[in-house]
Amino acid sequence: MSRATVGTETDFAAIVGESRVSADTATCAGFAVDGVRPHCVVYAASAEQVAEVLRCAASHELAVIPSRNGTKLAIGNPPRRYDVALSLKDMNRVWYYEPDDLVVSVEPGMKFGDLQHFLGRHNLWVPLDPAGGERASVGGLLAANAAGPLRLHFGGPRDMVLGMKIATVDGKVVKTGGRVVKNVAGYDLAKLLIGSYGTLGVIVEATFKLYPRVVERATWLVEPASLATTRSLRRDILRSPLRPLRMTLLNAGAQALLKGEEPGPDRLPGAAGFQVWIEAGGSERVIARYSSELGALGAKLGAPLRRIEDDIAAKIWEPIADFGVWLTREKQVPVILRAAMPIAAAEEFLERAEREAQTENCAVAGIVQLGVGVVELGLVSDRDPRPELIASLRHSATSLGGNLAVTRCPAELKAQIEVWGPPGDDFEVMRKLKAAWDPRNTLSPGRFFGGV
Amino acid sequence: MATDSLVRDLTRITAPDRVLSSPEDLMLYEYDALSSRQAPQAVVFPESTQEVAAIVKLAARLGVPVVARGAGTGLSGGAVVTEGGLVLSLARMKKILEIDFENLRARVQPGVVNLDLTLAVADQGYCYVPDPSSQKACTLGGNVAENSGGPHTLCSGVTTNHVLGLEVVLPDGGVIRTGGKYWDRPGYDLTGLLVGSEGTLGIVTEIIVRLTRRPDDVKTLLAIYDRVADATATVAAVTARGITPAALEMMDGFTLRAIEAATHAGYPLDSAAVLLLEVEGLKEEVDEAALALDTVARENHAREVRTARTAEERDLLWRGRKNAFGAMGRLSPNFYVQDGVIPRTRLVEMLDYIGEVEQRFGQRVGNIFHAGDGNLHPLIMFDARNPEEQRRTLLAAEAIITKCVELGGSITGEHGVGIEKNELMPLTFSEDDLGLMRRIKAVFNPQGTLNPGKVLPSGKMCGELRIQVS
Repeated sequence: MSRATVGTETDFAAIVGESRVSADTATCAGFAVDGVRPHCVVYAASAEQVAEVLRCAASHELAVIPSRNGTKLAIGNPPRRYDVALSLKDMNRVWYYEPDDLVVSVEPGMKFGDLQHFLGRHNLWVPLDPAGGERASVGGLLAANAAGPLRLHFGGPRDMVLGMKIATVDGKVVKTGGRVVKNVAGYDLAKLLIGSYGTLGVIVEATFKLYPRVVERATWLVEPASLATTRSLRRDILRSPLRPLRMTLLNAGAQALLKGEEPGPDRLPGAAGFQVWIEAGGSERVIARYSSELGALGAKLGAPLRRIEDDIAAKIWEPIADFGVWLTREKQVPVILRAAMPIAAAEEFLERAEREAQTENCAVAGIVQLGVGVVELGLVSDRDPRPELIASLRHSATSLGGNLAVTRCPAELKAQIEVWGPPGDDFEVMRKLKAAWDPRNTLSPGRFFGGV
Repeated sequence: MATDSLVRDLTRITAPDRVLSSPEDLMLYEYDALSSRQAPQAVVFPESTQEVAAIVKLAARLGVPVVARGAGTGLSGGAVVTEGGLVLSLARMKKILEIDFENLRARVQPGVVNLDLTLAVADQGYCYVPDPSSQKACTLGGNVAENSGGPHTLCSGVTTNHVLGLEVVLPDGGVIRTGGKYWDRPGYDLTGLLVGSEGTLGIVTEIIVRLTRRPDDVKTLLAIYDRVADATATVAAVTARGITPAALEMMDGFTLRAIEAATHAGYPLDSAAVLLLEVEGLKEEVDEAALALDTVARENHAREVRTARTAEERDLLWRGRKNAFGAMGRLSPNFYVQDGVIPRTRLVEMLDYIGEVEQRFGQRVGNIFHAGDGNLHPLIMFDARNPEEQRRTLLAAEAIITKCVELGGSITGEHGVGIEKNELMPLTFSEDDLGLMRRIKAVFNPQGTLNPGKVLPSGKMCGELRIQVS
């Protein structure tokens, strides 16, 4: 333990209580990020405590990484410094809930599954299917902007957050937005926090707009013969008046893993055989309309449509939405990439990725959030893929008008690559914003985009 | 700064006929739809990002404030000059640069009129969703600055939900691109911060927006009530039952009689209130939702529920609503429109309070609400030639806004803060909240030359509304 933290532990204990600061080696190891261990773990129980802990850490030039369950902590560059793990696990209260007004305010440590369960009593929900699934925390899914395939229909976290309270490193708790669905008073700072990966401030309360739960749903499966057919199908559906809840394309590798086959480059099939999963919601009449129109669109392309039973569908959608985390947790796939690009480029990117990986003796388990433009890839091979493969996949994504981030990979490989890809001409403003929020680089130093 | 040399320098950047400096010309730029302030020293009409950058750079060198302006339809004074300086009009940058149906995106210049974008994509079956009532005149650049809403944003969101990328000229003349054609570019969501920043952080020169497939079917209903309380109860019941209409508007009897006289939309003259309800989606969904709305309205004692049978009937119902502000001119020489927001469950309470305010200050108030999202537009009638009426009007408006905040709402839902409500920001934000906003503003606009005196309180006055009606 460094000398700096020995003294500050007492300071942290004065803020949160002695029993809520731990320097125990095993506890600290549980909060390691990219192999870097913190010197102590501080469990905060309120917004004010979070703010005080940040202020205290900043005044001692210590680095803090906030987390809850750690489902997304692997995302980002290795921390440049890491002294204090700030656990938000005890901040899981509901502060405000007005079901008739469709608004809820909750603390960041609340598990997303618990929030959905709580809202379910009134048949409401937050229509997100984030990576990390039910285990994802509210704070974590916002900090990582973890939108799943449901974004096609409902939009992402940025479209559902009405306001936030944010703890800043100067020891303040600031408010942005509010608890009403329409509000243009002041700068919308919640947008900055969503997707900021814990580098600006710590979200200590988030207010969501709620939606009536879609109770009646149906899932269909189409198996197009080629990517070209898939592309036509996606185009036809988006051009039609249909508005599915989500649509996902699985390549053969992803199908194999979801079917329960163990990963291995020789065991994953090649580039043939695609599945498109489509889900829609509504009354029986509405579902019948989807069935007949989707069926007609599929038939036109020689790709028949099959309705999937609800219980099987529920089992498939969970790992699909959580694909990036699921691949690591269940299948120990070491390298996960997430590419984002214009809607129409996604299928082609998947095709190129499969081809490029193959030349490196690497198999790809890939899914595309159709109509959204997000592609998640798991790279499966006998040894770590070479950095050149990551660079070449990034080049493909960039040339198609998108970008590629490495959301998980072994530390040795991480040291040789760019996690986020190159910054654009707006990076200077981002750097200055980071300095305005966090002048001493207290929060997650070095982990984000451009080394911020 | 001497105006003559400013004008001379401007004409080196743009053509001389794109710089206005005569008092008659400048007079037109004293106004927006809220009020009049002062005339700018000059108005310039750049035609490219490079020209905007050069003008901004020149202004920075000379220390002249720059106020970006679209169509001047704003309702909070965002586009008028308060401390002298230059109006930079984006009216000539009105090209639709790209329409990309397959990616559901369009790239436009800021001077494109809101409705023109929808008209440009309508024949292919698409639209741009946010539709402020001024959509025939207001520009997309202005919409971005104000994060504009409109009646149809209830189920599909406001401007910020439909803008994915921007090109922005910063106050030092630098040009950056934020976001893009797709979601999830790594880095901070600068697009989300800039939308709604009211021209205080940068000048937007290009916008990437989402295009949306037009719905399969639309139904518009008019529910007519003999008691205002029954109309508000319907609004609460619609939300509580989980029906999400595309639009849910409320007008009280006083307001709709004025509208009817002006537009002949077919609104019933003897009713206490009406609700204008619209549902969209697949035909099957629309049929079900329309039936559900009809039932809810009748359960809450609607005297009559009419459904528009044709597109013409629908347009007529909407024409009345969208021209409401104009119609009020028939009743009173002036009116002052408020834009507070309340939690939807407090609508009944709020309407009672507005009734009290009418009594207390003796100024008539017409009520027109985006009821579905709790965004109120009370119209306070007054005669600007009478200073006492002006005073009472401001007090009434302030009482209404304060009540909105007390009920857990906001001081502005879609019109913006501007110079109208910046001194009221402390009602809803603490000094710490405002301090952080100031630091963020300083990142972009350290000298404060871009749209000075807007959004953030000056600290010189204590919490009052500011309008000045000529």
